[in-house]
Amino acid sequence: MIFKVAWRNIWRAKVRSFIVIGSIAVGIWAGLLIIGFSFGMNNERTASAIGTTTGHAQIHHQDFDAEPLSTAVIADSATVVALREKVEALPFVSGTAQRTVLGGMINSAKSARAVRIMGVWPEEERLQTTLADYIVDGDFFEDSGRNRLLIGEKLAKRLGLKLRSKVVLTFQDAEGNLSRASFRISGIYKTLNATWDEFHVYVHHEDLEKTIGAPLVHEVLVRFEETVDTEEKAGALAAAMPVGLAVKSWKQVRPELGFADDMMAIMLVLVLGIIMMALLFGIINNMLMAILERRRELGMLMAVGMNKRKLFLMILVETLMLGFVGGPIGILLGDLSTRAMMRIGIDLSSKQDGLAELGVQSMIYPEIVPSYYLIIAVMVITTALIASILPAIKALKLNPVEAIRGI
Amino acid sequence: MSKPVIEVKNLEKVYEGAVPVHAVNGISLTITQGEFTALKGPSGCGKTTLLNMLGGLDQPTAGSIAIGGVDITTLSENALIDFRLRNIGFVFQAYNLIPVLSAQENVSFIMLLQNRPKEEREARAQQLLEAVGLKGKEDKRPGQLSGGQQQRVAVARALASKPQFVLADEPTANLDSQSTANLLDIMERLNKEEGMTFVFATHDDRVIKKARRIISIEDGKVLSDD
Repeated sequence: MIFKVAWRNIWRAKVRSFIVIGSIAVGIWAGLLIIGFSFGMNNERTASAIGTTTGHAQIHHQDFDAEPLSTAVIADSATVVALREKVEALPFVSGTAQRTVLGGMINSAKSARAVRIMGVWPEEERLQTTLADYIVDGDFFEDSGRNRLLIGEKLAKRLGLKLRSKVVLTFQDAEGNLSRASFRISGIYKTLNATWDEFHVYVHHEDLEKTIGAPLVHEVLVRFEETVDTEEKAGALAAAMPVGLAVKSWKQVRPELGFADDMMAIMLVLVLGIIMMALLFGIINNMLMAILERRRELGMLMAVGMNKRKLFLMILVETLMLGFVGGPIGILLGDLSTRAMMRIGIDLSSKQDGLAELGVQSMIYPEIVPSYYLIIAVMVITTALIASILPAIKALKLNPVEAIRGI
Repeated sequence: MSKPVIEVKNLEKVYEGAVPVHAVNGISLTITQGEFTALKGPSGCGKTTLLNMLGGLDQPTAGSIAIGGVDITTLSENALIDFRLRNIGFVFQAYNLIPVLSAQENVSFIMLLQNRPKEEREARAQQLLEAVGLKGKEDKRPGQLSGGQQQRVAVARALASKPQFVLADEPTANLDSQSTANLLDIMERLNKEEGMTFVFATHDDRVIKKARRIISIEDGKVLSDD
């Protein structure tokens, strides 16, 4: 009956209860929208980075980061083929692609910039990444010809380059000597990550080999079947590697993406925490009002023998019920709105340039993150529990004689 | 000779302040089972303070109150709450029913606090409401009942816990004469037929006329006891 009393008590001051329940619902709704939006944006950025450039994991020589790039090759060609076959046999791996990675300079008539030169096997690259989809001018090594080069749009602008412009690349060859070769721009790409575009040029591996003498494989990009549990899968991949090779997950390759993921998780909890704090004060205020209005009744209950534990429980249940009504409404609203926005998307094209710096498209499609429903449910219950403490203490401090006489 | 239900010895209650007030000043009295007693006196004479102390709602400054042989002035706060629940019935001037519960639920609620089984609660609530003449009004909420009817629900509630006695503080103060007569008849019948002990604090002559023992109080002292 305590539940019945608590439930009916909520509806004694209908307007007040509706306001509190409404604020809980709106708070949760807003929280879920923010979560959906943030995850949508972040996952898209991650998916785009994984899809266009990084892959889920990469295999390098263990000294790849420390040594001059040209010497830290994985192995000779035959060994690399065997290694890739072994990796592709793993159940969670969907494919691999190999790359030559060199540090160097690009010179145009106008200027020069430090870049990373990616020597790719175009057919493999096309299969394992979506880079070819981001060509805005020219093509992805489709035209025959020699010394073709793909350049990011942003870098091209900085260097004053256009399609078919000539550039000179300077890099270290297999012996560590500086080599130079001239290339002609055959394609201009623009991924969602402007920073990547500014520092990476792509060339056909054959054209590089002519200068450096042999195919050097510095990097094997690995794609998984799904973007879930990627850290564990990268671990499993590392366990299958021979000595001398190292595996990096996409989070290690692009720490800014992993950092963004972690930061977002912290930020979302903070945002939810702030929403809950606001709700906390609203609920406390509501319950204090309820206690004040019912002093006489609570005094009577204490007089006739309702013990403190039960009185506390009654107020606790009443407060929790506000959350139990408002919570599901908010979750339902949040879920429905997120689903609606998943279909239509959120158009942020007015902020396109800024978003490109972050590696994000201008259309954001929010995502439903079921685990956050549980987090929100726990937070609402916790908030209601905390909110009930002060009003309950206030009620317990009532002196029955004074409360009955008063008002 | 009936056994004593309430035994009060040298009871004192002093409200401290710039000028200490002796609300109850050395009262000793015994109330035995089956009494229908009125504490009468002008406002501020100390009768409500005395009633509150008899009900374990207020602590005396000195003296002792034994209820059924238990000195309630020595009980801890929690023990006292439980003692009130099991031994004392209360009827308040302003009825003080729970507005969100029906008449039947109001009566049952006390038994719920005593952890009695549901069947017993429902049966007893029904029986008590019938005894106070509210058969058919079980599902009405306090707001749907007249003042007299609400006070009868309060009497049924006071009896629900099977107390040793019922304390009623000005139970008729808010009632018209017809409701007052009804209520008093019911309480008198419960007193005679079931031997329930009633102690009123009142200055309502209609209640005083019905009482079989009248204790007059003035300035915190017993003036007369007949």
